[in-house]
Amino acid sequence: MAGSEEVNLIESKTVVPLNTWVLISNFKLAYNLLRRPDGTFNRHLAEFLDRKVPANANPVNGVFSFDVIIDRQTNLLSRVYRPANAGPPPSITDLQNPVDGEIVPVIVFFHGGSFAHSSANSAIYDTLCRRLVGLCGAVVVSVNYRRAPENRYPCAYDDGWAVLNWVNSSSWLKSKKDSKVHIFLAGDSSGGNIVHNVALRAVESGINVLGNILLNPMFGGTERTESEKRLDGKYFVTVRDRDWYWRAFLPEGEDREHPACSPFGTRSKSLEGLSFPKSLVVVAGLDLIQDWQLKYAEGLKKAGQDVKLLYLEQATIGFYLLPNNNHFHTVMDEIAAFVNAECQ
Amino acid sequence: MKRSHQETSVEEEAPSIEGSGCGGGDDNMDELLAVLGYKVRSSDMADVAQKLEQLEMVLSNDIGSSNNALNDTVHYNPSDLSGWAHSMLSELNYYPDLDPTRICDLRPIQDDDECCSSSNSNKRIRLGAWCDSVSSDSTRSVVLIEETGVRLVQALVACAEAVQHENLSLADALVKRVGTLAASQAGAMGKVATYFAEALARRIYRIHPSSAAIDPSFEEILQMNFYDSCPYLKFAHFTANQAILEAVTTSRGVHVIDLGLNQGMQWPALMQALALRPGGPPSFRLTGVGTLSNRDGIQELGWKLAQLAHAIGVEFEFSGLTTERLSDLEPDMFETRPDSETLVVNSVFELHPVLSQPGSIEKLLATVKAVKPSIVTVVEQEANHNGAVFLDRFNEALHYYSSLFDSLEDGVVIPSQDRVMSEIYLGRQILNVVAAEGIDRIERHETLSQWRKRMGSAGFDPVNLGSDAFKQASLLLALSGGGDGYRVEENDGSLMLAWQTKPLIAASAWKLAAELRR
Repeated sequence: MAGSEEVNLIESKTVVPLNTWVLISNFKLAYNLLRRPDGTFNRHLAEFLDRKVPANANPVNGVFSFDVIIDRQTNLLSRVYRPANAGPPPSITDLQNPVDGEIVPVIVFFHGGSFAHSSANSAIYDTLCRRLVGLCGAVVVSVNYRRAPENRYPCAYDDGWAVLNWVNSSSWLKSKKDSKVHIFLAGDSSGGNIVHNVALRAVESGINVLGNILLNPMFGGTERTESEKRLDGKYFVTVRDRDWYWRAFLPEGEDREHPACSPFGTRSKSLEGLSFPKSLVVVAGLDLIQDWQLKYAEGLKKAGQDVKLLYLEQATIGFYLLPNNNHFHTVMDEIAAFVNAECQ
Repeated sequence: MKRSHQETSVEEEAPSIEGSGCGGGDDNMDELLAVLGYKVRSSDMADVAQKLEQLEMVLSNDIGSSNNALNDTVHYNPSDLSGWAHSMLSELNYYPDLDPTRICDLRPIQDDDECCSSSNSNKRIRLGAWCDSVSSDSTRSVVLIEETGVRLVQALVACAEAVQHENLSLADALVKRVGTLAASQAGAMGKVATYFAEALARRIYRIHPSSAAIDPSFEEILQMNFYDSCPYLKFAHFTANQAILEAVTTSRGVHVIDLGLNQGMQWPALMQALALRPGGPPSFRLTGVGTLSNRDGIQELGWKLAQLAHAIGVEFEFSGLTTERLSDLEPDMFETRPDSETLVVNSVFELHPVLSQPGSIEKLLATVKAVKPSIVTVVEQEANHNGAVFLDRFNEALHYYSSLFDSLEDGVVIPSQDRVMSEIYLGRQILNVVAAEGIDRIERHETLSQWRKRMGSAGFDPVNLGSDAFKQASLLLALSGGGDGYRVEENDGSLMLAWQTKPLIAASAWKLAAELRR
């Protein structure tokens, strides 16, 4: 119905700056072209449209980056971002010099894209990771995990787990204070979901993760929540597209009660008594899946876990992609505080 | 002067923006979006937003059929958001403020459609080559594959540094050390290091390799082997051919000037594609440029291609041109038939050697311009191996060839003998980059952003390669039997072949700048 579509478009335009609106609308349009009704995905067109940037061992704004093949079998790649020292750019042999500091946080980052879109070398995520380096004085390792629908659950989690292990055992990432790697997990959208699930594995295997950062994490469930009904189609996202991505990610035949989708639903294991990392959960007030995200934060709290919820009433999805709004700065400050709390 | 175009107004054609100046092309560009890979002028933002809204409304009105309408759309240059949105609107026959009789065809509109009258046609602003800090010449893209071999790389770099500082006795000691370490290093790194060590040794002892030293028939074998065993040349030929095919869809005659005929491996596939054209093939004339020593080979090749053409029903003509230097070519050496033929100039890895003599590239490009081609296809290595400082070239080349050798290592189907031949082929390039100087240093690779500036200065505008070429190149790579690590990347209208995330080859297409086409 053209009438209500028009209203939706105008509404979303009033809550974000124009260039943000153009950026996210562009993604929305492109993504609509890529999802096919039969559940397949136009991967070639997706890769053609995605704006990518190479790694750069020459520092730009105090950050340099390089790519590492973590696992040749699966072609698992990660992009490592490091703060640059004063002086000449690092040579190829300097790239994995030991980190310099009593405590140097290492953030393992999982980009968003609803499990199907984007890569570690997507421009939007390269930019975000670079910011995190300066913000937190951290090394950031961005995981180029395998995506749906070609690679369903649990591939993305397996890849995250592989990189976590690699990070944990990399001697050059160890902080001087205790000769250990100080690890945080961070991610947006599907990346937030991966954070939770990789943290679960870490807990079960005794790898110490110091904190989880979830930006607009992607969770769901079979019921239609109030926020999904109220905000469907209003701010760039529809329930229909959310359903498509879950169908693409979850094992065939599964529904959204699957614990990967619904971590505090009817089929999930309790977190009570586990030494789960402290969590920072950021929820955008105009994100239609917020009820699931709020349920997640509640679930953590009820299980006796340390969770800080940051609810940004007027924020839409993707607000953290451009530094042109207050929410962006609020969240960046919170993330910095969250990571640096460990460094006292 | 740059102005944004509104659909409603009839305006004169804006002068094309040369790719040479960084500042000029960036006026008013939204910086935040530019960092994310999108070129949108702040002054155009509202217009782009409107186009996106219109697209949203048109597509949502009838989800089933509209999605089908865009299923076969070929997309071009996603960085140019305005152009991209506009193309899709045209494809959907949606022109809210335009006289629809002005639009001649349903293909995505590129600048200056020949079929529309020049003053009334719908012109979009050409944003030209994009200068930005992210993909500037100072980007060093590194993919680490092995954590072992660090000592080896350290020794190599230290040796190169000693050479740079003309501390030859130290360099000598280090190069021997490299040799020892390389011998015990398995895999791609060991092989690459061996070639670099040899090159360094030659430099230290001043045994500069001459570029003319090799036997042409051996050269031929190496190149054919390289062609067969890994996808680089196939990608180069394939993407160039895609651009050519797109430029000649309605031509009745096609004339290709190939600046480096070599074994002519690019042309059978193009001829077959032409033969299959609905409505029948155009006539195909090939002028192949080669070196004097290869004169007999050229004629024989022409004859073989003629046989193929005959077998597939394509009217064919061949002439061979020999020259020692491409910059010696003059426009009158080429017989052009502008009334009956679309002229194509093709260069696959032939431009960078011309940089070894000052002034030569400008002369060559002027000659190319003078024959008035409809399209110029250029494929070059994506690397800056032509910097003034030896050490910088060395480091760049080390990254580049490490990636290349690693990609060969990964190939499932390459028999080891063929891989050795490919490595020799590449090893000769390494020798030249590191040990040669002056006229003899012909492997003067430059990056796409550097070539864009040169082509822009020489009076050429970019022609975008689209999503269909991208897709088919990707499929070709998947079938080439190489490893999983190959990627095709779109870069502001050009296509690059990357190993993992490191771009290695860039393919671009060009036409005469607007004011020269009249």
